[in-house]
Amino acid sequence: MGDHDHTAPLPDVVLRVKTLESLLVEKKLVDPEALDALIDLYENQIGPKNGARVVARAWVDPEFKAWLLKDATGAVASFGFASDKGKTLVAVENTPKVHNLVVCTLCSCYPWATLGLPPVWYKSAPYRARAAKEPRSVLHEFGTELDDDVEIRIWDSNAEVRYFVLPERPEGTEGLSEEELVELVTRDAMLGVSKVSAPKGRDA
Amino acid sequence: MSGVHDLAGRPGFGPVVREAAEPVFHEEWERRMFALMVATFAGGEFNLDEFRYAIERMEPKEYLEGSYYEHWLFAVEQLLIEKGLISEAELRVMRERIEKRKSP
Amino acid sequence: MTVLKAKDVERVVKLSGSGRIEKDVPPKFKPGDRIVARNFESKGHTRLPRYVRGKRGVVERDHGVYVFPDTNALGGPQNPQHVYNVRFDFREIWGEDAEANAVLHIDLWDDYMEPAE
Repeated sequence: MGDHDHTAPLPDVVLRVKTLESLLVEKKLVDPEALDALIDLYENQIGPKNGARVVARAWVDPEFKAWLLKDATGAVASFGFASDKGKTLVAVENTPKVHNLVVCTLCSCYPWATLGLPPVWYKSAPYRARAAKEPRSVLHEFGTELDDDVEIRIWDSNAEVRYFVLPERPEGTEGLSEEELVELVTRDAMLGVSKVSAPKGRDA
Repeated sequence: MSGVHDLAGRPGFGPVVREAAEPVFHEEWERRMFALMVATFAGGEFNLDEFRYAIERMEPKEYLEGSYYEHWLFAVEQLLIEKGLISEAELRVMRERIEKRKSP
Repeated sequence: MTVLKAKDVERVVKLSGSGRIEKDVPPKFKPGDRIVARNFESKGHTRLPRYVRGKRGVVERDHGVYVFPDTNALGGPQNPQHVYNVRFDFREIWGEDAEANAVLHIDLWDDYMEPAE
């Protein structure tokens, strides 16, 4: 934390966090090694790749997809990801006539187990205020346009249930392997603000 | 509680601003704050609803201007003080020690 | 306070904060029920946001039994009860100017709902 930087005063928030950490360590209320382990876990091990593996499996394996849509908690637990498997998970499926969008209007609840930690825009006041009221205009800002006959379903994650979107498999990806499909799936598509695109040159 | 956190439908917000290739953490203090919250939460002295309620007790202006991990900082400080695990005096003394160490 | 050790990080992270309670509490509602969300001004903590208060919806799914946030936020009691996913039409929530062809799904505890009619 810049211990040896004597050139400028530390911003207040940096000083407060350092104060809190130093006090808790001194009082032996936290173990610094546990802090490092937590950071490593969420910075380097848990991320949207987890969710992408779940989505790709659902695209290639109809039995797994049926399980995922019926009991996402159990289906995702079968991957053994190192994240809060105690949370109830629900996967919601996009189809040509239904588009799902995930938000937490009261705070920033997010499916850590499948997507890691949330991006700043998801936690921002504009997204939390607008996604559940004017989803089409929010989606437009993300470059996602839906036909009028597509029903938008907003999932406000206000309880201890975490939602994520099973996006549509793009056309032109029939020949791809499960591993190749994993690479196509983005965090934004699993939140519903965008769709998954086929790799260039493979568009139908 | 002001209810400022209850944002759905509140008018006056501009576009959703995104960041290309956003890192998991932007600053080292965010990393530390993230871990401090998860570690103290695992300590079992406060539950998730108490944690959320602590954030909701921030001043509305501070809440809206503060980032996610600033909310967490406020709540963890608040809860650990309320639970008697640390005191404001201890925080003040530690802060002075750190500031002294930093000054040339 | 239990001090979290590095070797326990993965195990603890996997188990903490689910809010779920393995307790046999009878549900007050079932999928298909028409409900109206209660309309109260909370002086403390609640997970019933303003925009659904007083609105009519339909229960879609029973998620099981969870702690009740409004009392749990005060350190207890846990007041375990069922949580359901409930669907609301955008028109019901936002009125005539609501964006077309959109619905809201939100999770409501037993104590946040009353039967409609």
